[in-house]
Amino acid sequence: MRSFFRIIRFALQSMMRNFWLSFVTVSVFVLTLVTVNAVIVLNVLANASVKSVEGRVQVTVYFTSDASESTVKNVQSYLLGLSQVKDVSYVTADEALAQFKENHQNDPVILASLDEVDGNPLGQALKIRAYNAGDFPFVLQALETPEYKPFIKDKNYNNYESALRVLSDFSEKVRLGFLILALFFGFIATLIVFNTIRVAIYVHRDEIGIMKLVGANDWFVRGPFLFESICYAFIATVVMGVLLSAFLTFANPAIVAFFQGVDVDLVSYYLTNALPMFGAQFGILALLGLGTTTFAMRRYLRV
Amino acid sequence: MITFKNVTKEYPPKTHALAGVSFRIEAGEFVSITGQSGSGKSTVAKMIFAEEMPTSGHIHIGDWDISNIRHSDIPVLRRQIGVVFQDFKLLPKKTAFENVAFALEVAGESTKRIREVVPHVLKIVGLGEKGGRYPRQLSGGEQQRVSIARALVHRPKIIVADEPTGNLDAITAREIIELFTRINDFGTTVVLVTHDRDIVNGLHRRVITLRDGKVSSDAEKGKYLLS
Ligand SMILES: Nc1ncnc2c1ncn2[C@@H]1O[C@H](COP(=O)(O)OP(=O)(O)OP(=O)(O)O)[C@@H](O)[C@H]1O
Ligand SMILES: [Mg+2]
Repeated sequence: MRSFFRIIRFALQSMMRNFWLSFVTVSVFVLTLVTVNAVIVLNVLANASVKSVEGRVQVTVYFTSDASESTVKNVQSYLLGLSQVKDVSYVTADEALAQFKENHQNDPVILASLDEVDGNPLGQALKIRAYNAGDFPFVLQALETPEYKPFIKDKNYNNYESALRVLSDFSEKVRLGFLILALFFGFIATLIVFNTIRVAIYVHRDEIGIMKLVGANDWFVRGPFLFESICYAFIATVVMGVLLSAFLTFANPAIVAFFQGVDVDLVSYYLTNALPMFGAQFGILALLGLGTTTFAMRRYLRV
Repeated sequence: MITFKNVTKEYPPKTHALAGVSFRIEAGEFVSITGQSGSGKSTVAKMIFAEEMPTSGHIHIGDWDISNIRHSDIPVLRRQIGVVFQDFKLLPKKTAFENVAFALEVAGESTKRIREVVPHVLKIVGLGEKGGRYPRQLSGGEQQRVSIARALVHRPKIIVADEPTGNLDAITAREIIELFTRINDFGTTVVLVTHDRDIVNGLHRRVITLRDGKVSSDAEKGKYLLS
């Protein structure tokens, strides 16, 4: 117990008295965390915008004029039962016509031809939103049953098909891209932390030799370094938290304005995930530090 | 107290630093080890505190055969031996007081006792006032006194000093040697490695002379031998 407190005292003393080395080490740790958090923020933003674009895409299914309202309502509840479907709204024939006219108000030819026709050429319709754009082909396939197929006049699936595929490819690629980016930065960060600690221990090699000559056992030599690396991880995580809060306070209004209509609340994202996220960052950094310290001392100092 | 039996030391690939060294040092002796550069003096000193292991032969400290000492026992051995070096080997980021205290802290000595003993030992080596200074704020002779205080503070039975005066001027060197003789007067065994002729001749104590890794002479009240 006495030795434990001495080890902690030596660690704190060494951090204070080697101020610049400690400063550099903490800075490197902070930079490491900054890159990691930058990847996280970008990932959150990218996901939110992909989600929002996906959410806006909707497919309309038009029914023939002889389809009864109850048939259409059946289809609606059938679709709502599918787990991929987020929302299905019912459009009456009159609403469909009004909307059609509005969509084509600058197109006199189409409007004129509508007038040629008696009554309402359009039937009822269902507007479908899915959670993921990539699920539309499946959802529309589900309507290809003998029960419903005869009543379906048209699905504007074809018009959207390529756009949907591009979008869902894109969101897959965004996720993959960020995964690769995160791994890459994680790797670089590991190397940097590893080297920083190695240098720090190398700088202290003579002192470690002296401690051993005076009869310090391995734990007495190792302990302060291990505790120091935990302290560095902790300080770096706290500094990162402060930097991030400052960044979010200043940048969040701009980000929200930039992604108009998209639900990107980074502040609440970080608030809800703060503990696990910073806990994980601290934990990984501390483990990395401990591992590197142990490795460097074994390898270079035979302690 | 210290026994070397047919000790050899090879540094790979093919340096034979010691080629069959035997001697016995009794408790309370003051022994100088001399010899030309490269004759193996430092190697002998390092083996006493287990910084090097013999290639063959046996080394005993008291009843303890340290020829094949376990790694984890080395700190235990070193807490019973005081070591002093030519380059002082002080911890640069610790004050004189902290450097001396360190030798007690690693042995788990109580803080209360450390606060009593360290100032006392600093006074013995003549540094009563300068405990708060860092090594770089001390002269060479003062730094060596700190390192001697550190070697003394845990009341070791043996002190091994490898060229402790090598970096000091003649007058300071004599003061340091005087300090060792006083320490020896209190009953501590002193092993002094030196190639300083005047020091050896001035001591009138036992001298072991090494040559090419062998004991070439071992004389009570010896003199520095010209070779
Ligand atoms: N770590 C080592 N690796 C290889 N050879 C070594 C090592 N240490 C010492 N030697 C060799 O062993 C021999 C004895 O060295 P030692 O240091 O004991 O000499 P010394 O008598 O102390 O010399 P000096 O008076 O110059 O200090 C020398 O030839 C030296 O080159
Ligand atoms: Mg030597």
